[in-house]
Amino acid sequence: MLKIKHLQIHLGDFKLKDICLEVDKQEYFIILGPTGAGKTILLETIAGIYTPKKGSILLNGWDVTYVPPKDRKIGIVYQDFMLFPHLTVKENIEFGLKIKKYKNWEINKHIKKVAESLHISHLLDRDPKTLSGGEQQKVSIARAIIMNPEILLLDEPLGSLDPPTREILGKELKKIQRELGIMVLHVSHSYNEAISLGDKVAILNGGKIIQVGNPSEVFGKPNSEFIANFVGTKNVFTGNSQLKNGMYQVSVGENHFEAVTGKEGKIKICVRPEEIFVSNNPINTSGRNNFKGIITEISRSGSVVNLYIDTGLQFIVVITQASLQELNLTVGSEVYIAFKATAVHMI
Amino acid sequence: MTIKIEPNLDYNSKTLIQKIKRIKFNYLLLLFVVLTIIFILSTVGCIFAHLDLGALKESVRNREVLFAITLSIWTSTLSTFFCLMLAIPVAYSLVRVRFKGKTLVNTIVDLPMSLPPLVAGLGLLLLFGTTKFGDFLSFLGLEFVFSIWGIILAQFFVNLPLSIRILRATFMGIDPRYEHVAKTLGCSDLSSFLKVTIPMSGQGILASISLTWSRAIGEFGATLMLAGAIRLETETLPISIYLNMACGEIELAIAAAIILILISFISLYICERFTKFPNVY
Repeated sequence: MLKIKHLQIHLGDFKLKDICLEVDKQEYFIILGPTGAGKTILLETIAGIYTPKKGSILLNGWDVTYVPPKDRKIGIVYQDFMLFPHLTVKENIEFGLKIKKYKNWEINKHIKKVAESLHISHLLDRDPKTLSGGEQQKVSIARAIIMNPEILLLDEPLGSLDPPTREILGKELKKIQRELGIMVLHVSHSYNEAISLGDKVAILNGGKIIQVGNPSEVFGKPNSEFIANFVGTKNVFTGNSQLKNGMYQVSVGENHFEAVTGKEGKIKICVRPEEIFVSNNPINTSGRNNFKGIITEISRSGSVVNLYIDTGLQFIVVITQASLQELNLTVGSEVYIAFKATAVHMI
Repeated sequence: MTIKIEPNLDYNSKTLIQKIKRIKFNYLLLLFVVLTIIFILSTVGCIFAHLDLGALKESVRNREVLFAITLSIWTSTLSTFFCLMLAIPVAYSLVRVRFKGKTLVNTIVDLPMSLPPLVAGLGLLLLFGTTKFGDFLSFLGLEFVFSIWGIILAQFFVNLPLSIRILRATFMGIDPRYEHVAKTLGCSDLSSFLKVTIPMSGQGILASISLTWSRAIGEFGATLMLAGAIRLETETLPISIYLNMACGEIELAIAAAIILILISFISLYICERFTKFPNVY
């Protein structure tokens, strides 16, 4: 496993402060953060390009903090793939083995195996500049994994691809990681990548890790307004919270919410659009939060539908196409919405 | 009706006038280009006009001109080699190493380029001719003042900033992440530089060599101050022109000039043809 303890990095004006992370064996770990959050610098420090000011990096129990990059057994793949333009695809892939002075027959054996597993055998004699983005990515991965690294660092590996390719290659990345059984540390600014690929997610902002957990935890219960906004959490409202009979009573203007966990005072609450029920009639359920509203907009997004409901507050609710038809909902329909007190998350 | 049509007509005629104006402006610009070309060609052409092929053939066989050609070629080749050897590490560290006062260092490195070569030569003469440092070097057998080594040193000093500038631009154009990848693949700092950065800089290095070399072969002012104008001793092609003009041997001077023109033309052509850096300096 990869353990990062209290890492501090100063680079010009840029600072990473007290970074602590643990990536488990065979885990696909995503670091999510906006541009300028320090994601690349963190990766490059793990790779050994920069020396941290404080803290330590342990790779399977081995302290590599001051070990030069060439001895770390860490592979890196960048957004623009960084294939050496003066070498062919084959020469790119065998670069590391040549440096380590492998014999020619060993190099050829390894190349054959890696190229077959990534389906790039037919590209070996090409000039990297003539490859498509997806092909370049695979060559770049091949060049890294042929060295048999303990961990693969991916710096926005899907960032420069067009959206359909991005989705296919994202799945491919996960497949490769599962097959090789290695740790992957993938930095990204895309919420979608994090939720579809990550076993675990850390949110990095302003040089600090502000939340770590599995994706449903982090995106369902963001611990700060920054994360809520960044990951596009919907239904965020500002209000006042008071503890009464073991429940938090939250008033947002005229509306009242009940929540199970949280704190008192001026707070923000959020409710995931998937956790809200919609009905044509008043709902009598165990849900502690019930509102009446009017549908102001309906928009399809893939197999689901977003309903914009005005209850005095603007709610976004996600339902399936089938539910939309069954309930016969249209813009202007009067509906009732409900959700449990446990669905109300306080920031 | 007329009111409605008029603006339309007006608009059309306006664009037509604009088109003509635009074309006229381009012609005007081209006129400047033509004037510049005429000026350059007539200057160079005048030298060729004084050329008598028979005299040129004879001059090339002349011991003095032959000496100047040989001396110029090997001194400029050596000084270019030394420039490159120093410019590569300096340019690379100016691009990759973080340190305070980089702007000042860059300015100092560029300084010899904007100094008049005569001033540079004077400085070199004082440094190597009047100080303990110079005495120590000549004690070791390295005599720079009024010697062939002085020619090489003068060319080296004057051209070093040019080499550094071209290579600095070259290294700046290479993403450091290529080196980062190489390091994770088993390269040390030095081997990532030698296996990745240098091969990727091929064009810049070629540009640097051809421009430095062609300027070294034409270097006059600093050479005159440091190495002197000694016939058949420190007589490079430009010095030869100067000496022969001074004593009225105009045919020999023209022969040397024509050889210089051909050399600069060929090396500039190589630079324009094979590299992407024709206009770095």
